[in-house]
Amino acid sequence: MTLLHMSFYSTFTLSCLGLAFHRTHLVSALLCLETMMLSMYIALTMWPIQMQTSSQTLLPILMLTFSACEAGTGLALLVASTRTHGSDHLHNFNLLQC
Amino acid sequence: MDLTLILTSSTLLTLTILLTPIILPLLSNSSKNTPTTITNTVKTSFLVSLIPMTIHLYSGTEGLTYLWEWKFLMNFKIPISLKMDFYSLTFFPIALFVSWSILQFATWYMASDPHITKFFTYLLLFLITMLILIIANNLFILFIGWEGVGIMSFLLISWWHGRAEANTAAIQAVLYNRIGDIGLIFCMAWLAYTMNTWEMQQLSSTHQIPTLPLLGLVLAATGKSAQFGLHPWLPAAMEGPTPVSALLHSSTMVVAGIFLLIRTNPLFNNNQTILTLCLCLGALSTLFAATCALTQNDIKKIIAFSTSSQLGLMMVAIGLNLPELAFLHISTHAFFKAMLFLCSGSIIHNLNGEQDIRKMGGLQKMLPTTTSCLTIGNLALMGTPFLAGFYSKDQIIESLNTSYLNSWALLLTLLATSFTAVYTIRMTTLVQSGFVRIPPLTPMNENNPAVINPITRLALGSIMAGMLITSYIPPTKTPPTTMPLNIKITALLVTALGIILALELSKMAQTLIIKKQNPLHNFSTSLGYFNPLTHRFNVTHIMTGSQTIASHLMDLSWYKLLGPEGLASSQLAATKLATSLHSGSIKAYLGSFALSILIMIISTY
Repeated sequence: MTLLHMSFYSTFTLSCLGLAFHRTHLVSALLCLETMMLSMYIALTMWPIQMQTSSQTLLPILMLTFSACEAGTGLALLVASTRTHGSDHLHNFNLLQC
Repeated sequence: MDLTLILTSSTLLTLTILLTPIILPLLSNSSKNTPTTITNTVKTSFLVSLIPMTIHLYSGTEGLTYLWEWKFLMNFKIPISLKMDFYSLTFFPIALFVSWSILQFATWYMASDPHITKFFTYLLLFLITMLILIIANNLFILFIGWEGVGIMSFLLISWWHGRAEANTAAIQAVLYNRIGDIGLIFCMAWLAYTMNTWEMQQLSSTHQIPTLPLLGLVLAATGKSAQFGLHPWLPAAMEGPTPVSALLHSSTMVVAGIFLLIRTNPLFNNNQTILTLCLCLGALSTLFAATCALTQNDIKKIIAFSTSSQLGLMMVAIGLNLPELAFLHISTHAFFKAMLFLCSGSIIHNLNGEQDIRKMGGLQKMLPTTTSCLTIGNLALMGTPFLAGFYSKDQIIESLNTSYLNSWALLLTLLATSFTAVYTIRMTTLVQSGFVRIPPLTPMNENNPAVINPITRLALGSIMAGMLITSYIPPTKTPPTTMPLNIKITALLVTALGIILALELSKMAQTLIIKKQNPLHNFSTSLGYFNPLTHRFNVTHIMTGSQTIASHLMDLSWYKLLGPEGLASSQLAATKLATSLHSGSIKAYLGSFALSILIMIISTY
């Protein structure tokens, strides 16, 4: 694959791993999530240019919209969890109870 | 005149007379036993038992009595049958004569014992069970007598039961005898299964009997007659009083094993394996016991090892397929061995309990009768020509030299014969002659008729018995008639060599230098290292083995590791691993998320 493709793959993979293996803060997880969105945005943008299909130029914009919503949701969750748990330290969170 | 009737009746009368002191006190309250009555009972019994023996010698009459039949199973009935043949009719007077002398001696020896009547009753019970063993015609009655003598041996060895060594020795005797009993019971079971009988007359079979039941018989003889391997109980049994040692462990009980082999001889006299086994076992026992006797310092232990050595010689005679010679040796050996024990008892009592020969000496002038009879007994033991021991011992050694046999057995037996001379001379010189080593204020008095009469009676027996028995009993197997001169005098030569060696060594030992230890001396002193080796190793291995099987294998392994608890523990381990994912931590959740993403990415290739 080309250098471009490899950079998309590696960014996505690295930020996935970063999402999974963060250490302490929820906000770093959200940042990694943003990086994943970013790499997907750039990949989606490169795609119609390479394939010369200009009708799919819409796709990155759509994705960006949803990405923004999701970022907002994530930040809202961050704020809510800081309200209830006192900080955004991940080891305070438990999946089984709020 | 119906000789058979007189024979049978007088034998049964002998046994009944012996039972009288036991039954009469139970029937009426006024009759009490005393040592004197029991001694007189045995004397009467001896005199009565001379009648059937004379009848047998005169006309060759043999008797067989069926008293009652125990209908055990439908086709297996056990009669109480008594066999009065050459062996039993000859041994009865001998055993009763020796017992009478010993009981008379015991009235003096145990005079200070508060329970002397119980002692005499025990000795009488022992005598009765021994005679039951001798006269038995089937293995069941013999087994009753066998167990009876074992029990009485236990009770009598631990007579002074306040002494821990006496109790240990009694338990040791019972344990070793029990191991022999396993062999006897095994053989009886095999016989009951195969031949459906325990009668002696039906014991010889035409086809070859397999070796295993006969090995059981040899094991029984090894246990009861203290052959090598099951021998330690005999020296330890010297913890009992001297009359016990004289009666049980020299003349009568220990010959029960040999007597069993004599009685069941038709079973194995064509089985060369068993005969060779008896030969080699006997040769080994006789040499081992003679080696151990060389360095003993306790007079009773020397005589005990001497008994063990002579028992080995009897076993050698059985191995040569000469049971009559073994029986002859049993008969003559009873006389001089009992007398040796009685002499040692007299010496011990007169020295106020001293049993160490290093602390005796010069007793010839102080106890003339006792020491003279001790010398006669020792000469008879060594096989001096024409004393009692000569007739049996010399015949056995002549037959050894002229038979086709294992030369190792021959060598061992000859060596043991010379060792016999060595330790006998050692004991004689240290006890009787030389300088006096006893404490100065030792009042000695042997002038009691209860001491002198038994000892001199047995001395007379030691001198005459061999000649009397061989002149009146024609041999059933032809003895070897011609042999070269050096074969003929082999026994005398090795004995003379032993005597010269012993005298030379005793001269060396008069100087008071403590000699250095060397391995041979240590071997002899520590009885061949047999006792600590077997008593520790065997027991340790058996106990660890049983612990492994019972505790480790069953409890821990099958129940805990592989069974129910093992299942539980393996499930528990798996569950613990799995529940770490259920803790609700975001980290684990995101970790599984990353894992799935990685798998997805890799799978696109």
